[in-house]
Amino acid sequence: MSSNTRKIVIAGVMGAISIFLGATHLGFIPWLAGAALTIMHVPVIVGAVLEGPVVGLVIGLIFGAFSLLQGAIAPTGPTDVWFTNPLVSILPRLFIGPVAWLVYSAIKRFNEATALVAAGVLGSLTNTVLVLGVLGLYRLLPWSLIATIAVTNGLPEAVVAAIVTLAVVAAWKRIESGRKGSTV
Amino acid sequence: MNTASTPIVEVRGLWHTYLAGTPLETPSLRGVDLCALRGETVGIIGPTGSGKSTLLQHLNGLWRPQRGEVHVCGLSVNDPAIDLRVIRQQVGLVFQNPEDQLFERYAGDDVAFGPRNLKLGREEVRERVREAMEQCGLPFSFKDRLTLELSQGERRRLALAGVLAQRPQVLALDEPTAGLDPQGRLELLRILRQWGKDGDRAIILASHNMEDLAELATRVYVLVAGQVVLEGPPEQVFERTDVLVPAGLSVPPAVEVIQELRRRGFTVPHAVLTPAQAIRQIEAILHA
Amino acid sequence: MPEPSEFELSGRVTIGQYLPTGSVLHRLDPRVKLCMGLLLIVGTIGTRSLLGLAILMAAVLFGLRLARVSLRFALSGLSPALPFLFLLALLQVFAIPQHVAGSAVVWRWRFLVATTGGLFAAALLVGRFCVLVLGISLLSFSTNTTELTHGVEHLLIPLQRFGLPAHEFALVVNIAIRFLPILAREAERLMKAQASRGADLGRSGGGPVTRARRLLPLMIPLFLVSLQRADGLVEAMEARCYVGGKGRTHLIQLRARPVDMATLAACLGLSLLAIGLGTLGADAWLLHRLASHT
Repeated sequence: MSSNTRKIVIAGVMGAISIFLGATHLGFIPWLAGAALTIMHVPVIVGAVLEGPVVGLVIGLIFGAFSLLQGAIAPTGPTDVWFTNPLVSILPRLFIGPVAWLVYSAIKRFNEATALVAAGVLGSLTNTVLVLGVLGLYRLLPWSLIATIAVTNGLPEAVVAAIVTLAVVAAWKRIESGRKGSTV
Repeated sequence: MNTASTPIVEVRGLWHTYLAGTPLETPSLRGVDLCALRGETVGIIGPTGSGKSTLLQHLNGLWRPQRGEVHVCGLSVNDPAIDLRVIRQQVGLVFQNPEDQLFERYAGDDVAFGPRNLKLGREEVRERVREAMEQCGLPFSFKDRLTLELSQGERRRLALAGVLAQRPQVLALDEPTAGLDPQGRLELLRILRQWGKDGDRAIILASHNMEDLAELATRVYVLVAGQVVLEGPPEQVFERTDVLVPAGLSVPPAVEVIQELRRRGFTVPHAVLTPAQAIRQIEAILHA
Repeated sequence: MPEPSEFELSGRVTIGQYLPTGSVLHRLDPRVKLCMGLLLIVGTIGTRSLLGLAILMAAVLFGLRLARVSLRFALSGLSPALPFLFLLALLQVFAIPQHVAGSAVVWRWRFLVATTGGLFAAALLVGRFCVLVLGISLLSFSTNTTELTHGVEHLLIPLQRFGLPAHEFALVVNIAIRFLPILAREAERLMKAQASRGADLGRSGGGPVTRARRLLPLMIPLFLVSLQRADGLVEAMEARCYVGGKGRTHLIQLRARPVDMATLAACLGLSLLAIGLGTLGADAWLLHRLASHT
């Protein structure tokens, strides 16, 4: 069972990774039309899977707060300015962790690797859907465009999140999955 | 040109400033000259912050010289037209705590990472992985083990194998024995000595651990605050406690004992560096 | 192939700088400063009046003067955003239809229509952004991280009644901030090590799977090293008998002085004023008065 101290430290460390990925742009994979695929939400998912929904919520809060600050202080694209609104940057991100944890816990008993993939995909989609949803409700973007972005950006981003989540957590927890040996 | 006397690694007048142009800039190398011939093992001693790592990272093109020249294996690191990947294959750089860089789930795949990046064929990759693992004292059957389940010593050797699998001509190592237990350390030094026996290769070893250099190096540079303050064979350099001690470096215990014996009037030949050699000399004195 | 200078990450991770000028503003209670920051954010977002924004901007500029921060330096923080801001403003003016009562068409070219409503919305957008950036910068210039986390922790104490662990939360933020330079060093080392093995992290091309895989040589070790350090920190904390925040005392006590409360009250007043001007349609009234004079 994980101690409170451990939860605090993991929340802090994963939060730091999320900030770091955002601040150095290592967390951005260039994608179509200038919008990038981000992995800044992966530490949220990893933290939630390892330490539970509350930790996931806190890391999500840190991620959101940083994206607000980044939008205000060092925007890298025209869309960053929208994130100065906490309803766009912070509120949706609070849900990534809990959703990832729920999915992971539900599927874990069948197959842990699949549970990790699902957590990655659904955690990422939560981010995509909720952020775009808020932008739509504010009428900052027309709904038709939102649907397109959700597909062209949201789906690949979910795939990336799944791959990284699985790779990191499987390595950390020494989970074997798929092939049983090296390909050499 | 006599290739035997052309250095395989040559650094001339190298200057480097960290974070140049920002308010946080700090000079890390100030006019360093260094060279290594084929078949040599060159040691770089220096306290932390002396610029050893920066110097090493110039050797495989991770840094382009801001001022000064660096030549490795006949290629110039200064040349903007040079494909750095060629240099990085020729000069294998092993970082401190290299086991941190392992990322593949299975051990064999991690060793294969380097050769695969060189776009080699499947059979060639397999052969290189086998050769590299065996050079590092790891049985080829380890390739199917989970990387993280190996012990720290095994993982360090695995990381080393990953570099050797690229078949570099020069091996540059930054604090290779840091954090290893005595047995692991001796094993690693044995592996390096064996690899360096090939007369076409060269090893550059940076450490603040004098004992490692005493075991392997044929020539030693002392780097303090970005400048070379001493250079020469280890037995000569280790005599210069007047330079070493103020710099925060201490001589290996075996050498200290021998130096003390000399001070007390015993005749001991100068080339005594390792504990084994020291023991032989002490035994000779006791039986005389 | 990433150029060598791309490996220098440590210089880039600055979440707003701290400028210790020792001014009056620096000596204010950090809790008060945080509240003022929040009030500013609320006021800026909540106001629909350009006049209101102007008042808030004046307050921020005054604050910068008080903090002895060079205006030029502070304004330079806006420069990276200017091109995008301009684009967004153009977008507001032309692309997004504004149905503001009494809005007149100001300019027309083919299908591009600029209305006063659109111009107004664009001005609000730019204004809000500028006030927010300068305001948050002012907060960071005048408060160091220790003060900030201390302040956050104390502010959250009332929420403990609802189950929010203030101390724990502040500690999380503290750990995160202090871990950043460590991360930068580790990431730099890992990038260099993998590049030395021929990894090409800067390459583009390929579908999402390929691109994700290309990141793994950096991401996996980065996470693993971080998790290992986290384990070490937990051990260190527990070895020092850390048991959490219940009944925990502080070496440095925060005390609000009259000047702190006065500044807070002033800030509250300004924010309410800005929002009020917006709701009451002060801008329209002002324009109307100006128009009737010309």
